Amino acid sequence: MIIDKRKYKDFDAILLTLAFVIFLIGLLAIHSATQAKNLTLHEGYAFRQLTWLGIGILFLAVTIRVSYHKILDIAYVLYIINILLLVLVLIMGHIRLGAQRWFSIGGFAFQPSEFMKISFILALSSYVGQKKGAMESLESLIIPFILFAVPFVLVLLQPDLGTALLLVPVFFAILLVGGAKPKYLIWAILLGLACMPVFWHFLRDYQKQRLLVFINPNVDPLGAGYTIIQSKIAVGSGGLIGKGWLNGTQNQLNFIPERHTDFIFSVIGEEWGFLGALALILLYLFIVHRAFNIGNLTSDRYGKCIATGIAVLLSLQVIINIGMTIGLMPVVGIPLPLVSYGGSSLLATLVAVGLLLNVGMRRSTF
Amino acid sequence: MRDRFLISALSFLFVLIIIGLFYNQILMYGYYAKLSRNNSIRVIPIEGPRGNIFDRTGQPLVTSRLSFDAAIIYQEIGDRKKLMSLLSDQLGLSGAQIMDAFEKASGRSYEPVTIAEDIPKEKALALEEAGFDVSGIVIETRSRRNYLHKHFGSHIFGYLSEVTDNELETLKDYGYRMKDLIGRAGLEKYYESALRGVDGGTQIEVDSRGHQTRVLGLKEPASGQDLQLTIDFSMQIACDKLLGDRKGAIVVMDPRNGDILALASHPTFDPNVFVERGTSEERMKLLNDKTGRPMSNKAISGLYPPGSVFKIVTSSAALEQNKITRYTRFFCPGFYKLGHSQFNCWKDGGHGSQNVVEGIKNSCNVFFYNTGRALGVDRLESYTKLFGYGKPTGIDLTDEVGGIAPGREWKLFHKRGIWYEGETLNYAIGQGYLSVTPIQVLEMAAVMANNGNLVRPRLVRRVGSSDLPNQKPKSIGLKDETVQVVRMGLFEAVNNESGTAKRAKLEGATVAGKTGTAQNPQGRTHAWFCGFAPYNDPKVCLVVFLEHGGKGGLEPAEIARGIFAEAKQRGYL
Repeated sequence: MIIDKRKYKDFDAILLTLAFVIFLIGLLAIHSATQAKNLTLHEGYAFRQLTWLGIGILFLAVTIRVSYHKILDIAYVLYIINILLLVLVLIMGHIRLGAQRWFSIGGFAFQPSEFMKISFILALSSYVGQKKGAMESLESLIIPFILFAVPFVLVLLQPDLGTALLLVPVFFAILLVGGAKPKYLIWAILLGLACMPVFWHFLRDYQKQRLLVFINPNVDPLGAGYTIIQSKIAVGSGGLIGKGWLNGTQNQLNFIPERHTDFIFSVIGEEWGFLGALALILLYLFIVHRAFNIGNLTSDRYGKCIATGIAVLLSLQVIINIGMTIGLMPVVGIPLPLVSYGGSSLLATLVAVGLLLNVGMRRSTF
Repeated sequence: MRDRFLISALSFLFVLIIIGLFYNQILMYGYYAKLSRNNSIRVIPIEGPRGNIFDRTGQPLVTSRLSFDAAIIYQEIGDRKKLMSLLSDQLGLSGAQIMDAFEKASGRSYEPVTIAEDIPKEKALALEEAGFDVSGIVIETRSRRNYLHKHFGSHIFGYLSEVTDNELETLKDYGYRMKDLIGRAGLEKYYESALRGVDGGTQIEVDSRGHQTRVLGLKEPASGQDLQLTIDFSMQIACDKLLGDRKGAIVVMDPRNGDILALASHPTFDPNVFVERGTSEERMKLLNDKTGRPMSNKAISGLYPPGSVFKIVTSSAALEQNKITRYTRFFCPGFYKLGHSQFNCWKDGGHGSQNVVEGIKNSCNVFFYNTGRALGVDRLESYTKLFGYGKPTGIDLTDEVGGIAPGREWKLFHKRGIWYEGETLNYAIGQGYLSVTPIQVLEMAAVMANNGNLVRPRLVRRVGSSDLPNQKPKSIGLKDETVQVVRMGLFEAVNNESGTAKRAKLEGATVAGKTGTAQNPQGRTHAWFCGFAPYNDPKVCLVVFLEHGGKGGLEPAEIARGIFAEAKQRGYL
């Protein structure tokens, strides 16, 4: 398959560069967070993350080369496969004690909920895009709601509260740019809020605990509360310029559990300080800005929906993840895109970036 | 226009995050820098004790007691020499042991590393007091699992051990932490979520000498739920004693509701060995013993050919399918010819003419070769499954296996071959591919005791303050007459002077049962007895299985008599 030369003109090289710069920052942070574990280079988390990048570049290349309209043609198929994987993970999870969010294939952990976010955006964009101006009626929202509700419930059952809740704003954003009446969306949000007490009832005990901890970290000083307090100390003690790479005392002394995955930002905050953290946030802002830009420049409804969905998804992951390391958001287990250690999250994010580039470079065709 | 709204909303959130960072890193820098420098927040866990386990009469079997561990926090050690002499004086540790612990502790940050477990209370108090002068030592209190009867009943309780790093990945969401103990087998594993307490703890701020200055947070621990078992522990002790040094299993059950009164598997082990953290020699010996396999519960996970006890199934199936009646007779000359092969009876001279009741009483193989051939493998297979073979009974223990109830399809799939008629003959007397657990044999006996009803066995009648619902036995669809004829055979086997199970006969109670002696390519035959009493209104049924135990009519039948005698004395009969 050969890409029309003219399309390179619209290839957003800056967006791709931003993504790689953020990835590199993440790699440095992962190395710093895990070097105390005394692993050899090949066992090291940073090395493994690089391996994931190799696979991720393949994913990225494929996502860029195939026109996103071709991808949209199979959006429902991808969506259904992903739903089946989520069901499978639930069944296997029941056999083993505890939460089961991933499959283990030959030492590689594969987490379907990460990919669900992308296939959800694609399926919803496919539906909304084809509806053109007809999204205004209430009936036209029924199928989108089903598309949303099925993965929402399945992910919630895993239980992965954070990822499930993330689907909500993405859902509303795509409907909004797709032309649904804001009136209905506001009603839906109000209805959702009214259902909160019922929803609360279905949460696992530890999930309730995490939300309560958010209100008062001292209710669970050993579990989630401990992590928040230690993470706040790490970030706060970073000050303006930080303690320097590999020099974070909170980090190196093992105070923060899970610091190479969900709490990677506390390592960055501690070692690179306010200036470093701000720089990282600005890089993310640039990416989000370019994503919205791509959505704006394309005249294609499908492309606009995809770009907006991804822009909202990425920014909220960043906001929630950073927010939880400084106690502004509850701890819900959402990775920091491109930075947290973990293959599924990295691959899914790279596919998302690929889709943005894809929409961007084909915008003049439609 | 509409994405303007989204962009503004997201920008607002980004600004909020940046303000939050600014607040934490610039405005609060002094506060957090100080906390970070002193590393002054310490978490002291308070364990929520595990629930206790009681027998059906309320006698405690497994409890938790308080124990004291001495631990060191490397970063807080001030006077190294003083601390070392204190540790060697009070705990009798050698210099090398102490250096070892220091080495280990130096890798952990401000985390207590245990140096001596379960020390006497007086020493714990002495060390705690000394800790005010010599920094770096702390006393941790823990609740420690205590299996009161050591080797008795250990396969019922199972044991505990520390969670591994891998398990922690999934279990941490449920509140498990490093070094936590988790049920590994038996009831400790099956009822883990009920038994486990919820840990609490305090978060304290300490000064530079490691002394507490204020409490930042407290979470009360909660203890786990107690279990009340269906086990009668004096029956359990009797069974364990009767089994003695032999390898094998005994299970005693009330056939009316599935309540297990005793469950023994030998060789056994002392679960207390697993309570200590780390690895001990004794533990490795238990886990690596491949010949005795003391850690495996033979009653539910041991697979063996059932031998002649299986004739209960063959005779029921043949009566049910009208392949024989209670009057049908076959002649036993001591062998049975099929084509060029000869299948022998266990009695050289043969039993002569036999009907089904005599066939069971004498355990005549030739009678059952004829019966099995008339039935055919397909019907035999479906009745084998009807009696519960080939799948777990569903007792409330983990690690139960289902065994093999073979058939044509099974053989095609697993042995890649067609079924031969000679294999049907072996099948009919409980040999060949058939592979069963002792508790499945007990279930079969219970069907006969219960007039054709199957019941799920259970070990726990009450969790916390709620009684588990009583179970209703389910009919497997045998005609009443079928059951009565087979039962008569079981009665004769014990109570007739020439019955194979006559050693199980007991004064003052009517026992019925069947012996089994199963060929075993690895060596001496396995010996079985299964039966019930009293005959007219069975209240107790049991299985006795001896690995390489010789003949079922000898030791197993005698052991069964001993158990029935105990049951009578305890008022169960």
